[in-house]
Amino acid sequence: MGKKVLVVDDDPDVRLFSQAVLEENGYTPVMAKNGEEGEELIRKEAPDLIILDVLMPRESGIRLYRNMKTNKNFKNIPIVILSGIAEKSFLRSQKVLTEFGGDPVPDPEAYLEKPVDGEELADTIKKILG
Amino acid sequence: MATKLLLIDDETASTSLLAFSLKSDGYEVLTAASGEEGLEIFDRELPDIVITDIRMPGMDGIEVLKKIKERPHPAEVIIITGHGDIENAIDSLKYGASDFINKPVRAENLALALQRAENKLDLQAKLDAYTKDLEQEVETVTHELRMQSNFLEKLIKTSEEGIVATDRIFNVIIYNPAAEHILGYPAKEILHRKKAKDLFSQELMRKYQAKRHDYQKRKKLDHFETHLKNSDGQLVPVRFTGVFLYEEGRIMGSVAFLEDLREIKRLEKEVLMSERLATVGQTVAGMAHGVKNILHGFKGGSYLMEVGFKKNDTEKLKSGWQMIQKNIAHTSELVMDLLTYSKDRNVEYVPCEPNDIAAEVCEALTDTATEHNVRLAEEPDPAIGRVAMDKTSIHTILMNLVSNAVDACILDDIPGKSYAVTVKTLLEEKNMIRFEVVDNGTGMDKEVQDKMFTSFFSTKGHRGTGLGLLVTRKLIEDHDGTIDVFSEVGKGTTFIVKLPFEELKT
Repeated sequence: MGKKVLVVDDDPDVRLFSQAVLEENGYTPVMAKNGEEGEELIRKEAPDLIILDVLMPRESGIRLYRNMKTNKNFKNIPIVILSGIAEKSFLRSQKVLTEFGGDPVPDPEAYLEKPVDGEELADTIKKILG
Repeated sequence: MATKLLLIDDETASTSLLAFSLKSDGYEVLTAASGEEGLEIFDRELPDIVITDIRMPGMDGIEVLKKIKERPHPAEVIIITGHGDIENAIDSLKYGASDFINKPVRAENLALALQRAENKLDLQAKLDAYTKDLEQEVETVTHELRMQSNFLEKLIKTSEEGIVATDRIFNVIIYNPAAEHILGYPAKEILHRKKAKDLFSQELMRKYQAKRHDYQKRKKLDHFETHLKNSDGQLVPVRFTGVFLYEEGRIMGSVAFLEDLREIKRLEKEVLMSERLATVGQTVAGMAHGVKNILHGFKGGSYLMEVGFKKNDTEKLKSGWQMIQKNIAHTSELVMDLLTYSKDRNVEYVPCEPNDIAAEVCEALTDTATEHNVRLAEEPDPAIGRVAMDKTSIHTILMNLVSNAVDACILDDIPGKSYAVTVKTLLEEKNMIRFEVVDNGTGMDKEVQDKMFTSFFSTKGHRGTGLGLLVTRKLIEDHDGTIDVFSEVGKGTTFIVKLPFEELKT
């Protein structure tokens, strides 16, 4: 059994794409279609890595990312952001949330801006999980 | 000041005696012994009255009289004549002497003559002063009048507003260059040749007439926007202000002020167009997100197909191909929306059946709706038949609204809730059709409602380009219709679109 990777994305096509990449590279994919479902599966499945979209209905990636990175049980799970949102926009949103009285959060382990090739996604995961 | 006298006589003895007696009467007296000397003194001293002997060697009294009367300085001349020299005396009167007295000069005769001369001088002085005053006054008034009329003329000529004024029987008497510019007819064809009704339509004249009593009551000018036909037969948009002029309750004429709205209308159109293009600009920047998602979809699709080919996995091939097809559709939708939005398209009224268009749209979306357990229903108004409307626009408008409604249900996704989207049509008065798209999906909060018609705002994550409602609104506005929205979070949304139609000529 390969390492478990959770994909959180509201777009079924993106999930299908990521799932295929993960399977092709020997990982075990787990799918969530929004932030709420994602948090639930993190607790239940304890994935080794999370591939996270930013803009989603029902708890965005911005919120989920923050919740994970400030929770001592989950903050060590590496997160790869895969989004159409530019990296600097995402980082700015986290900075603003920190300024409004949150704990500072580290930058994500990797940030991939769509569109992304299958190989690029696979290489990124491999680099983190070894 | 004493009256100044000049005595001219070659007989110096009688002169000095006379001078002495006049001096004692309070006159200032100058004397000369000849006509020539007399004139010299006259020019220097400008006496009021000259008393001259008629017979003198050299220049005689008549000659002196004539010369003095030629001078600008007004002086009365009394001639002293010899006894029986009546002919000369009459001559002297003809040349402007005020009086004559006979020799030997008797004190009472001279006093009387002097008295008369003085009165005459006095009267003349008064008359002069009066005439001068009058002339002065006339000049001042004329100057002011000229200034005023010049001012008014310049005011009318340079006015940016067209001014057309008529007398009481509506002959055009004022027609300024701005009016010339608006109406196209040169002033020489109009002034004193045409009547108001030759320039303004009957309808306008009626409206104008109807206002006149209003104005008397309210003392306020009414203006309205209208179109005037110019010399080329083109309709020129103007703001028209009309008023009747009264003098002591009687009509003395009328004035119409015309504000040329061509430039404003052109600018308005330009502003609208450039705003729209600016929106497209913003949208293009903001749209990057949508485009990125589409490209990612293409990459995903081709990755799946690659895997499918490599492993001979038809399932993978199929889902990869579907993904690519879906993103091709997305791309064309996006491009078409952009084109529709940025293009200045004319509304094309063609015969169509609005109920059928609604049915077509529902049919096209039924699969997607059913797939996500959304019931799609139609409630057409049977009173709506075949009418003339822009069929393509209606199709796009309904397509956008109904697919939005279905999306709102899909996004809501509360287990156990049964979702429905209803498309209603309703025949309203005044050639209007009301389209309603009702859903019980997520609904929108105030913030989303405020933003939904602005550029690139999408709540749909990967699916939205942010252009759908912009395009929808533009098509509705182009069709002279309206769009309203009622929405509540958790309860759903109702869009109400009203579009005018034209009856089909049978």
